[in-house]
Amino acid sequence: MDFRFSAEEEKFMQDVHDFFIKEEKIAIEAKKEWDSGLGFGPNCWKILGMIGEKGWLCPTWPKEYGGLELSYMYRYILMEQMHHFTDIYATVGAGMAGPVILNHGNEKQKKEYLPKIARGEIEFALGYTEPDAGSDLSSMRMEVKDEGDHFLINGSKLFNTRAHYAQYHWLGALTEITTPKYRGISLFIVDLKTPGITISPIFTVGGMRTNEVFYNDVKVPKDALVGEKNRGFYYILEALDYERISTVAGLERDFQEILDYIKKNGNDNDPLIRQKLADLAIEIESARLFALRVAWMLDRGKIPNHEAAMLKMVVSEIEQDLVQTAMQIFGPYGQLQKGSRWAPLDGKFEWRYRDSLEALITRGTSEIMRNIIAQRGLGLPRG
Amino acid sequence: MDFAFSKSEKLLIDSAREFLEKEVEGLARQAEETGEGYSPELWRKMADLGWMGLLLPEEYGGVAGDFLELTLILEKMGRALVPGPFISTTISGYSVLKYGTEAQRNKLLPKLAQGEIIFTPAFIEPDSTKGEVKIKEQVNLKNGDYILSGTRLFVPYAHLADWFVYKTKTDTGTILFLVNAKSPGINYKTLKTIASDMQCEVSLDRVKVPQANILGKKEQGKQIAIEIEEWGALCQSAFILGILEKVLEITVKHAKEREQFGRPIGSFQAIQHQCADMATEVDKVKFLVYQAARRLSEQISATKDISMAKAKASDASRSVCLLGMKIHGGIGISEEHDMQLYFRMAKAAEIASGNGDFHKEIVAKELGL
Repeated sequence: MDFRFSAEEEKFMQDVHDFFIKEEKIAIEAKKEWDSGLGFGPNCWKILGMIGEKGWLCPTWPKEYGGLELSYMYRYILMEQMHHFTDIYATVGAGMAGPVILNHGNEKQKKEYLPKIARGEIEFALGYTEPDAGSDLSSMRMEVKDEGDHFLINGSKLFNTRAHYAQYHWLGALTEITTPKYRGISLFIVDLKTPGITISPIFTVGGMRTNEVFYNDVKVPKDALVGEKNRGFYYILEALDYERISTVAGLERDFQEILDYIKKNGNDNDPLIRQKLADLAIEIESARLFALRVAWMLDRGKIPNHEAAMLKMVVSEIEQDLVQTAMQIFGPYGQLQKGSRWAPLDGKFEWRYRDSLEALITRGTSEIMRNIIAQRGLGLPRG
Repeated sequence: MDFAFSKSEKLLIDSAREFLEKEVEGLARQAEETGEGYSPELWRKMADLGWMGLLLPEEYGGVAGDFLELTLILEKMGRALVPGPFISTTISGYSVLKYGTEAQRNKLLPKLAQGEIIFTPAFIEPDSTKGEVKIKEQVNLKNGDYILSGTRLFVPYAHLADWFVYKTKTDTGTILFLVNAKSPGINYKTLKTIASDMQCEVSLDRVKVPQANILGKKEQGKQIAIEIEEWGALCQSAFILGILEKVLEITVKHAKEREQFGRPIGSFQAIQHQCADMATEVDKVKFLVYQAARRLSEQISATKDISMAKAKASDASRSVCLLGMKIHGGIGISEEHDMQLYFRMAKAAEIASGNGDFHKEIVAKELGL
């Protein structure tokens, strides 16, 4: 039982840190673009390209596909630093689509997509959620017809966040009507420029753009299918376990900002504030250890399941405590938005207060996480 | 980075679990009923296993273990609700090892390692707003000896103790004395507490203590006392961890077996989500405790880590036990069920060595607030 990084890992962390300090200008601009809620702008693509060039976007992958064959602990270290400096801690390509292609894709798909993902040249938009398929993904309705020499796809997707700047759709849809329904789901890689696809924006309370995506008689080549037909649901679940790898770097950074603000503004003698901040520090530290556990499990060849759910849940819930604490500390000034001369920290937490809600929902709600912990972690029976 | 136990850690855990399962079944309940609070036979066997001398080097009959190993044993003791002055004896002994004179160490430590000495800190002065303080706090130097008077509360197992680490203040600051508990002028009274865990009121009425019994250098008193409290807080956190693991285990078992509305209550999401929250809190406590123990074992300053662990353990102690109680329903609050035992013992451990709020204040200081 030992939660310290090795000397090599410490050195790597320093190297990555030095890289971001050296490229801080671009990182700051990238973070601004990302935090605007509009997605990857030119500086995001630029910094991703630079990270990718070093092999750092997908460090665990085989070298032939653009990786460095390093352990997951290195990936975790990278994600932490990326998260700290840019607020982006992974691409969907590197975190979800890539691992499934690597494990289940054919050779042609691996050669075509993996190196580009690793170099930070392309991005995928997740295409799972539909109006009637949120937490219950197996209720998706989008249908795929096998037309012999191609697939024909019709239906609509909701909250497909990166669809307006990603090149590819990582699409789940029904290839067969079965009972249970999830046995008829398959996964596809669809070029988002394909005729018949319409993308229309939806904005969240936090100002983030997400999308509805409509498929109207969209013709997709046969080699768009990933892995085996009708196995899509299993791949989705597998990838979700990987995607619930969060880092606490964002929490640590924002917490430090609040701490510095309070020290500077002199209300650090208030016992209530002291209790709240100490409580947050403790929660963030325990979440950090949860994150390291998940990375460690991956290195041991174990698939983190309820452990990843626990991590995902606590990180998003601690963030709620953090933004609420900030708002309480700031009092009436907390509600002031960016640009007001009275707004503490230029209204950052007024925005975070709204923006942080998304984390409770996306990648599996806290309630689904609790189901996973209870059923798969503790072995309680399904209702 | 390793989230698994090493071979030697595993060996220690397995042997502790095996031993305690065999020896301790029902002991907490029995100790409470007889009012003994402690089993001399178990104490001797624990000494034979090397647990009393776990932190002591071999020259004093110890096994030269570290705080992480101590934590692992305490976790198992918490699971089994082992009653007795193990934590107080261990941390008092360690303070003598670290700050005692050669003579003090030779006199006390070999016996302690053999289980022949019960040793306990006597730190907490009474709060005069809660009751009349009958003995005036005094420290006088007379013919080369100190004459001590005062009352200390919540002293674990003082009625059985052979030695105290007695904390008092003089004009020059805090001083710690090693006080022979059998000295004339010392009186004990066990306090009736929520966990019947034999905390005592100790009064010293003009007790003669030789100068040679001062622990550490005079000016170190305050710092040594803080360290003893930190070790105690870590130990209590580990004990709580064991309690909470057991509470989670019996609660999940109950939720799987207990049927209402024609199905196990554990199949209802209302119950599942509470169990998930319990499991999450237990894991938080676990990792914070292990991290603090590891840092302390490496002789790294672990003030913040220990307070994080004790604050989390204390708060989780309340929340996990309360959920455990609720999920058990009526049987949980009945006297014959162990749930209420764990519930009460957890409260005592939560209070011991500083509760959650107390340790959060320390964390706040460590954050630079």
